[in-house]
Amino acid sequence: MFNQSTLGASSSFGATNTPSSANPMKDFEVTSPPDDSVSSLAFSPATIPQNFLIAGSWDNNVRCWEVEQTGKTIPKSMQTMQGPVLDVCWSDDGTKVFMASCDKMVKCWDLNSNQTMQVAAHDAPVKTCHWVKGPTYSCLMTGSWDKTLKFWDTRSPNPMLTISLPERAYCADVDYPMAVVGTAGRGLIVYQLEGKPQEYKRIESPLKYQHRCIAIFRDKKKSPTGYALGSVEGRVAIQYVNPQNPKDNFTFKCHRSNGAPNGYQDIYAVNDIAFHPVHGTLATVGSDGSFSFWDKDARTKLKPSEAMEQPITRCCFNSNGQIFAYAVSYDWSKGHEFYNPLKKNYIFLRSCYDELKPRSSS
Amino acid sequence: MGRKKKKQSKPWCWYCNREFDDEKILIQHQKAKHFKCHICHKKLYTGPGLSIHCMQVHKETIDKVPNSLPNRSNIEIEIYGMEGIPPEDIKEHERQKQGKQIQGGRPGSPSSGEDEPAPKKAKPEGLLGNGPGPGGMMQGMMPPQGPMHHHSMAPMGQFGPSMGHHMMGPMGPPIGPPFMGPGMPMMGPMGNMGGPPQMNMGMNPGSNQPQQNKPLFPSAATAATTTASAPVGADFKPITSTVSTPIGPVKPTFPAYSTTSSSSSQSSTPVTSSSDTSQKVALINTTGASSKIIHPQEDISLEQVRARISKYERQAPVKTVDSSTSTPQPQVEEERRAVMPRYQPRPAMAVAAVPVSVAAIAPPVSSVTIMSPMAGPPIMRHAMHLGPPAAMLGGNMNMMRPPPMGLPPGCT
Repeated sequence: MFNQSTLGASSSFGATNTPSSANPMKDFEVTSPPDDSVSSLAFSPATIPQNFLIAGSWDNNVRCWEVEQTGKTIPKSMQTMQGPVLDVCWSDDGTKVFMASCDKMVKCWDLNSNQTMQVAAHDAPVKTCHWVKGPTYSCLMTGSWDKTLKFWDTRSPNPMLTISLPERAYCADVDYPMAVVGTAGRGLIVYQLEGKPQEYKRIESPLKYQHRCIAIFRDKKKSPTGYALGSVEGRVAIQYVNPQNPKDNFTFKCHRSNGAPNGYQDIYAVNDIAFHPVHGTLATVGSDGSFSFWDKDARTKLKPSEAMEQPITRCCFNSNGQIFAYAVSYDWSKGHEFYNPLKKNYIFLRSCYDELKPRSSS
Repeated sequence: MGRKKKKQSKPWCWYCNREFDDEKILIQHQKAKHFKCHICHKKLYTGPGLSIHCMQVHKETIDKVPNSLPNRSNIEIEIYGMEGIPPEDIKEHERQKQGKQIQGGRPGSPSSGEDEPAPKKAKPEGLLGNGPGPGGMMQGMMPPQGPMHHHSMAPMGQFGPSMGHHMMGPMGPPIGPPFMGPGMPMMGPMGNMGGPPQMNMGMNPGSNQPQQNKPLFPSAATAATTTASAPVGADFKPITSTVSTPIGPVKPTFPAYSTTSSSSSQSSTPVTSSSDTSQKVALINTTGASSKIIHPQEDISLEQVRARISKYERQAPVKTVDSSTSTPQPQVEEERRAVMPRYQPRPAMAVAAVPVSVAAIAPPVSSVTIMSPMAGPPIMRHAMHLGPPAAMLGGNMNMMRPPPMGLPPGCT
């Protein structure tokens, strides 16, 4: 393509000269992106009418934008932690944002008052934070490299419950009453959250390589029923917690370069997986800088993307499934030699509802 | 059981002549014994169905119905339960049954023109009266009926296969439950949950459970009911505020990488390309014959690798007393030092750019590093323009605001 600013696709700030090589999919670019890699992305829940996007970054900050229907993004506010932010999540009422950081804390950011307060602490960086909303209780679940999973009532400085993990927590997801954690050493544990969180099952990993990302999916009745697990070896496993037929569980390869027929195939890590809230189809993003949409029931790929200039580190859907956000920034997959702090980090927004419609007839 | 006139009131299997208490059980029997694919064990519904399945899926032809009598092995006849049985076979079966009953009390007579039901005799036994007796039973009967012996041999031929393949004990009622087992393995554990989940749902009207037929966590449902009755307070009732119910010490459930975490001595930074995962330092086998995994060789997450870099650690203020606090493994330090020197020139620039001034908007935020804009473009980018505060964001934000602007032109 010729080097032109993608006026049509960018937000209303026409002055941004984003070369099309940086935005090959011609998606909307979020203004004032973070200055260092994006570690986490989250859209506001359906409980509030507008779409707010939160991004945590290795620059220690958590930024908030309002996303308008036109694709225009308005930076709203920002908070800073004392170490790189590793995960962010929203409370169910859309008024608070939780930020988990390498500074071993999790803070709660009240967006209305723009104040923060610490709500959790670990002995090592906190890698995951998820808000648990159940009928009898709500709490914050945090997973850390200190090999514990803790549940916090945000009003109290002590955890409600601490569960020790076999290894460092690398990824987690929550969809009441189910929670699942992927750990170092290819650990995989499912928890049931009803009444009180308890370990439900330890699962022999379906993947042979390090677990990197995990996302719970629902069945047709909108109840959580399984999860997708991604590894550093360009592979995703779709697993049901209680499969009717062992063949329901399967894995598929993704984020690999084809290469020449007799040449090397480059295999990239799957950095994030997200399920579409309406269609139940999924998106994966990888170190190769591309995203793909998949239909797990039809077992088919719906759409690949062009490759970005840098890896895509995270992705997420907004609450009604209209917007797919993905962050393009360096994920360290090639070590520190390939880190260029001057390289711009991007967050793109794509109107995705139709592209993620399932292929299957049902 | 002494019912005389059965009149075919009990369903029976056309393929193997066994009788069942009701048609449902008969159908289960047929699916498990006659319509089951020997390759993949998928249960079909009819003989032709099985034949088509094997052809399409496994590319194999089937010429006879598994476990069937020799004269009843035609795979093309479509039988489902009691439906589809050719009328002459029905009559024959009826005759045989009547013959059996008549024959029951009369040892020795080679049954008046009927086929040889004699061996069954059973009326006195009461067993065969119910249906095709198990072979064992029949054979057991034989010897006592000395004179019958001859006759008994002949009919053996007909009933041989059924004796041969029967798996369970005598007839009807006992056949039921065992069929339930293999036929519906899933229902077993689920069936037990019928009670507790129901209770559970009553208590948790808001939960998703009522929508499902099967609870997602059946084994946990019983546990949940005991604690789910009341809203849980700041700590789950049975749990005290501090550490509780740890699942246990680190279990080597994942042997492949069990040597990773502690104590393994760290050789120098990941060395050659084709290292095994079984080495002391857990490494990812990144280079294969025709492929290469784009990932540092060490089997730790990318975030962990990155967090070790001094640049990121330095940003954490005095709180992180040790240099090794950001990762749990002590041996990481050596690596970090190896990496650090290379990194030194960078931080000067990078650190300057990173802490953001605009965070000063909210004074309550702890330890914000405020930097006056000096490094030109990178900092200017941070000037998050706040615009008119959205309804949900409060007043504090107006306090210190750079002049409203979007991305200044020229600032990529």
